[in-house]
Amino acid sequence: MQEIHLDDNATSSIYTIPGYSIVNRLNHQQYGLKNLQRQFVISKINRPARVRFYDKQKMKALKVACGHGFTITSVKFQNKKFLLGSGINTDSQIGYHEAPKGSGRIMDQLIEPGRIRLPLERPDNCSVVSMACGRAHAVFVVEDEGVFSLGNNAYGQCGRSIVEGEEYSKNPTINRVRDLPDDVIKVVCGQDHTLFLTESGQVYSCGLGADGQTGCGHYKPVGHPVQVKGDIEGERIVSVGSRADCSLAVSDKGDVFGWGNSEYGQLGLVTEQTQVNTATRLPIPQCGRVIKAVAGGSLCALLNDAGQVYVWGFGILGKGPKLDTTVAPSLIPEPIFGRNELNPDTTVVDIDCGLTYMAAINDQGDLYTWGRNARGCLGLGEEKNQFFPWRVALPAQAVEFSCGTDHMAAICKSYT
Amino acid sequence: MSQRLQLTLAILKPDIVANPSVLKNVWTRMLENGLYFVMSKRVQLSAVQAEQFYAEHRGKFFQNRLVCFMSSGPVWCHILCGDDVIGRWRRMLGPTKVLKTVFDQPDSIRGSFGLTDTRNCAHGSDADATAKKEVGFFFPEFDIDKWYKEQHKFFQNDLVEFDPDKLQHFAISDT
Repeated sequence: MQEIHLDDNATSSIYTIPGYSIVNRLNHQQYGLKNLQRQFVISKINRPARVRFYDKQKMKALKVACGHGFTITSVKFQNKKFLLGSGINTDSQIGYHEAPKGSGRIMDQLIEPGRIRLPLERPDNCSVVSMACGRAHAVFVVEDEGVFSLGNNAYGQCGRSIVEGEEYSKNPTINRVRDLPDDVIKVVCGQDHTLFLTESGQVYSCGLGADGQTGCGHYKPVGHPVQVKGDIEGERIVSVGSRADCSLAVSDKGDVFGWGNSEYGQLGLVTEQTQVNTATRLPIPQCGRVIKAVAGGSLCALLNDAGQVYVWGFGILGKGPKLDTTVAPSLIPEPIFGRNELNPDTTVVDIDCGLTYMAAINDQGDLYTWGRNARGCLGLGEEKNQFFPWRVALPAQAVEFSCGTDHMAAICKSYT
Repeated sequence: MSQRLQLTLAILKPDIVANPSVLKNVWTRMLENGLYFVMSKRVQLSAVQAEQFYAEHRGKFFQNRLVCFMSSGPVWCHILCGDDVIGRWRRMLGPTKVLKTVFDQPDSIRGSFGLTDTRNCAHGSDADATAKKEVGFFFPEFDIDKWYKEQHKFFQNDLVEFDPDKLQHFAISDT
């Protein structure tokens, strides 16, 4: 068990917390608990568990993002805002943590959230607009300060030049991403690439392009953000989604564009190839006006303005008790997400997906998950695969959630 | 136990080497399945080396991403030995198409820890000839014939002990 350096500010004064965080299984010591008598580690949790750390430290979680074995949160403490990270740190994706200070012992995993110190002008007022985690990198968009990235940059996913043979473990480098417009409002990470969305609706990308997931017309790694090419040009994009090697974007008109990997028919409507390297418009008029689209490892989902969820690709799509393969988006019946005679207006308001599972929240704040239940990541109290959306037994209303590769985290508020 | 033992090369790829608990779990599985570690090494491949190693895949659509991936972080290389070790190691791994394997063989190493088809945990040689070639690629200092002459009998009779620090089995010297 490692000793964790806690920020000095983290132990004083009282602040009331209207919301709290609930975390589904933080494996790999992401979910570490310190006990006065003895220390122990929970290696997996298959139901939602409240993370006491934030309550104890009187912190309010504002945003959360999950990567492959690590979690980052943006928190408010008294009048300060800063970033915390916990979990695997072998590629320095949650910063440079030395404990005890001056010992030269650099943590390659944190069992309790530790502060991520970005080189900001006002380090105590880190207002995060958007943040995202990939397999081994993390990217932050900070209000008025710019875009910052840390972690593995073997493919340029941090938005800086690739250095052959660079050692990423115990690496204190934090990069301020240049070559980007000032109005970046959202960042999304695939496993090894990064997509940036600007307020004016342009999409930039960097990182691994071996499946065409950077959408810039070739299959080489991209070390500095470049604008995505193809049908997307001239469109005003409002949402982007990518978890693995397939990327999707949605325009303000409700059109969906896709690029990247299509080995499992994710882009099967427009290509028979396994890879597409420029953004291509998907012909899916039956889905209505789309507001959000997400892509996992082999499956994709979209949400339209009527609150309906459509799914396609390969895997457990949520349509019945077998593995499905479909290239055309197909609707998941609304009653599954809580629409019934008593709640005729219930709609889904947000969706996200991991590599092989999906999650959605409806306007009541209910969280639904379905798909492959790797090490209990669906939070349904068991480890069997779930073949259609099932409500997670959260004792609070989910406000925001994030899907990692095998864990999930949600920020919730109480019902009252 | 008179059968001649097989040698194979196992490479643990950057996705699991970056994850300490999974890495430990995979090593434990290998030991529990009775595989012997003849030699172990942590290597950081360059893109050129990875390209050479996967020369057989030249021209296939996944070759580029495989090379990119293998050079993205440190990997662990092990020379394994055992009875039918090539087949056993590959069976432990499960099929390469991870996104299908997670449903078909969820208990295999790839089914448990694989992320995507490229980020698929580990590599195993597919035949005696390739094993020999691949061992030579990563362990040029390892003399296969000499090993069979001098060390083989200890492994064959299970007169070896595992050293967790060096990740290697050593012959128990006669006392």
